[in-house]
Amino acid sequence: MKALILLSLLTVTSLGVMAQNNFSPYSQMGIGDVEDGFYNRTTGLGNTGIAYRSNRFLINNNPAAFSGLANQYFTMETGIRGSFIQYAGTPVTPASTQSGDITFRRLAMGIKAAKNWGTSIGLVPFSTQNYEFNVPYYVQGSSSEVANHYYQGHGSVNKAYWANAYEFFHHISLGVDAGYIFGQLNQKDILQNSNTGASETSTTNDVNLQNLYMTYGMQVYGNLGKHWSYIIGGTYSQRADLLASTTKQVLGSDSSILQNEQLSEGYLTLPNSYGAGISITHNDKYTWLADYRYQDWNSVQRKNSYPGQDYSIASSERGSFGFEISKKRNFYNSKVELSYFQTGVYYGNSYLQINGKQISDMGVTVGFGINSLKSPLAYSVVFQYGIKGTTNNNLIRENYANITFVINYGSIWYTKGKKFD
Amino acid sequence: MTKHKYLRKELLFLLSSSLLALFLLIGCQKQPDLLFGSTYTDVNTGANVVLVDTSTILMSTVLVDSTATSGTGYLMVGAYNDDYLGRVTTRAYMQVVPPSSLPTLDPRADNYDSIGMILFARTGNPYYGDTTVYQTYVVNQIDSLYQFGNNQFAWWSNRSQPLGPDLGSASVRIEPNRPSTGGISNTSQGTGDTVRIPMDPALGQQLYTMIYNKSDTITNNTIFQNWFHGLCLSSGPNIANLIYGFKDSAVMRIYYRENGVVSIGKYIDFALGNKSFQYNNLRPDYTGKPLNNIIRPTQNPQPPPATLSTAIGHVGYVQTIGGLNVKLTFPNISSIALRQDYIGLLRATLVVKPVPGSFSTIWRLPPQVGIYTTDQNNLLIAPVAALGTAGAQTGNLTLDYFHPLNTEYIYDVTNFVKFQLTNPSPIATQTGLMLTIPSPANTAAFNRLIIADQSYPIDQRITLNVYYISLYPHQ
Repeated sequence: MKALILLSLLTVTSLGVMAQNNFSPYSQMGIGDVEDGFYNRTTGLGNTGIAYRSNRFLINNNPAAFSGLANQYFTMETGIRGSFIQYAGTPVTPASTQSGDITFRRLAMGIKAAKNWGTSIGLVPFSTQNYEFNVPYYVQGSSSEVANHYYQGHGSVNKAYWANAYEFFHHISLGVDAGYIFGQLNQKDILQNSNTGASETSTTNDVNLQNLYMTYGMQVYGNLGKHWSYIIGGTYSQRADLLASTTKQVLGSDSSILQNEQLSEGYLTLPNSYGAGISITHNDKYTWLADYRYQDWNSVQRKNSYPGQDYSIASSERGSFGFEISKKRNFYNSKVELSYFQTGVYYGNSYLQINGKQISDMGVTVGFGINSLKSPLAYSVVFQYGIKGTTNNNLIRENYANITFVINYGSIWYTKGKKFD
Repeated sequence: MTKHKYLRKELLFLLSSSLLALFLLIGCQKQPDLLFGSTYTDVNTGANVVLVDTSTILMSTVLVDSTATSGTGYLMVGAYNDDYLGRVTTRAYMQVVPPSSLPTLDPRADNYDSIGMILFARTGNPYYGDTTVYQTYVVNQIDSLYQFGNNQFAWWSNRSQPLGPDLGSASVRIEPNRPSTGGISNTSQGTGDTVRIPMDPALGQQLYTMIYNKSDTITNNTIFQNWFHGLCLSSGPNIANLIYGFKDSAVMRIYYRENGVVSIGKYIDFALGNKSFQYNNLRPDYTGKPLNNIIRPTQNPQPPPATLSTAIGHVGYVQTIGGLNVKLTFPNISSIALRQDYIGLLRATLVVKPVPGSFSTIWRLPPQVGIYTTDQNNLLIAPVAALGTAGAQTGNLTLDYFHPLNTEYIYDVTNFVKFQLTNPSPIATQTGLMLTIPSPANTAAFNRLIIADQSYPIDQRITLNVYYISLYPHQ
């Protein structure tokens, strides 16, 4: 009972710390920076894992992977990321500025509920928004008086999911990830007197987002001779209209409420997304992986009428490769993994096109993990270096270095002697 | 398969350590300053500030027939020709009293010498006009009893007294800002800060004799006033373009000599007995000026009439001592609150600009001009306080002789405009603001302000700046 209470507490608490603190200048647009990391076993592989299965770790890259869990095995994972960003480009002042933060990124639990049925629940970030910047404008009606707009945006959209996977014929797994997307984006426009800095009026938009978001996955796997095995995977996320209700409040200079209105509900639409991956493993030790993901934002451009100009939405894509060396030892009649080494590369274009330039993101990852034999814990640490954006076209480039800790707890769940095999 | 018992202990450890690490490290951050996003933000999604500086302002000059000029502390004397106000003349009336303690005069030793008016030109005394030329000051005796009528409690600027013949005069040039300490004189007479006007010797001899005789006329002030009446100090016929204010510590002085081994000069002073009885009489003459078209009061009492700027040269006149104040009304101001995007008033400022060329180091602007609410009766109701403060405003004058267009008075009229935007009264359009010179300068200073109405170019005219918070309606 205590464990359940603590789990609930952790879940609730984690909602509050999912929002990132590093400024992300591009996050002012759309629903913010869409998260493309999974903070699990595949993080060290450049998040390449559509065609990846594990009997211990929760691979939420593809919901079909959960059927790979060991029988009666309960597992829980949490991911924490420390991020260090260096900003470059003409809009950055001073010319080169850094920021850093540490944030909770993921909490997931899973269990092999039946012989062929794996299930998992969890909480993961979906997108984040965190920006602050100043824009001086002429006061409307004046050609000489300037007022400063101080824009702030903070918030996150998270996904709570329940994923289930079922294995057929020992070679096929089908999975469904039923996600509930929810979150709040708090956007402020504070109009300041350019002489005194005092607030003259402020507009707060609290955008509440929610809806279901379904992801389907499939994996086909088998052996190629004695030494080789393969996995082919695919995912599909169904287009979903995010229900957005916005509360707009305008305050005067004396903080009196001038307007408080509930704007008519609108939708932000998430597009159809597709993913495909393949992995091959040699001698159960060396694994090569490749992923390709595509989000069809072009088809939902009309439905996503975000305020702003000089930017547009474009379909995004991401390709990645990973390589893993797994060190295993035979205990009795089974192989037990002791540690693993991973590396990966990735390149992608985000769904934002600014000043005619689609924002790219590329990087490399290196990870190392240890599975404790004396305790039910497994640890991994992943170093990631990447470059997001460009300094061309008056844009900002972010050179970022992340360090991700993934802690896994695994245990044979108490089954009162009942076994499935 | 081994059955573990780890769940409880390990889980507790894992959860608690994770939470602890999160909360300890979450604060380790530093934010950059990003000048990014201006072109990606739609300014109309949030509230904005909109400036309306085209509100119609009807400017009128309100003429009060007189002002209470008694007991101001200064004998305002002189005249000047003003490009806007015409000829302005002022004279000072006063009563002098014999000294309460009279000297005992000995005809064998004491000899009458002379009589004169002693005036004090102290640094800081008010003045207005050209101080580089000589001004003739004339002393007259008032020709009739000088006293309050029924229900009269003060002397007003439009009251004059009949005068007898001149008792004496002197031409003096006063340098009003020169300190007169350390043996330096600020008058052309070279007598420190004292101006002396010799008076009729016969009058002096007569008063000296009365003193010697301890005459009832001297020892009884009522008899003295019935006989002597008082004095009037005025400027001579030459136009010196100056009004100067002498301190009301002026005296009429009789000089005599006490002869002995050494002849000693002595004097007897007739000071102003009741200083609140002293007053200044103004005689404006608008002839030949647009201001001559101003509507004058025809009855007494009556609300002071207001004359639109269009009838008097497209300007407004503020010289409170001369009875001139400016009333401003804003007939269309309520339409701002009816705008589709209006959600609240941020602030409102009134910018008052003097007509370029109407002021100089000689024709100085009033350093303070007060602002009051007024109504259809054209009377002052209450001072207009700036937003968040309780004190009266005086315009915070920005004075720039080199760039006259930068010269302006600015008032925070947020409270007034906020009230007027939704004022349901049928006389709301007659409710306005009155610009007037605050006390004590309202009765002791001739500095005047000529305000351009809205027929003048934008950078020269009076302007009401209304800043409101705008939010475009969302569907």
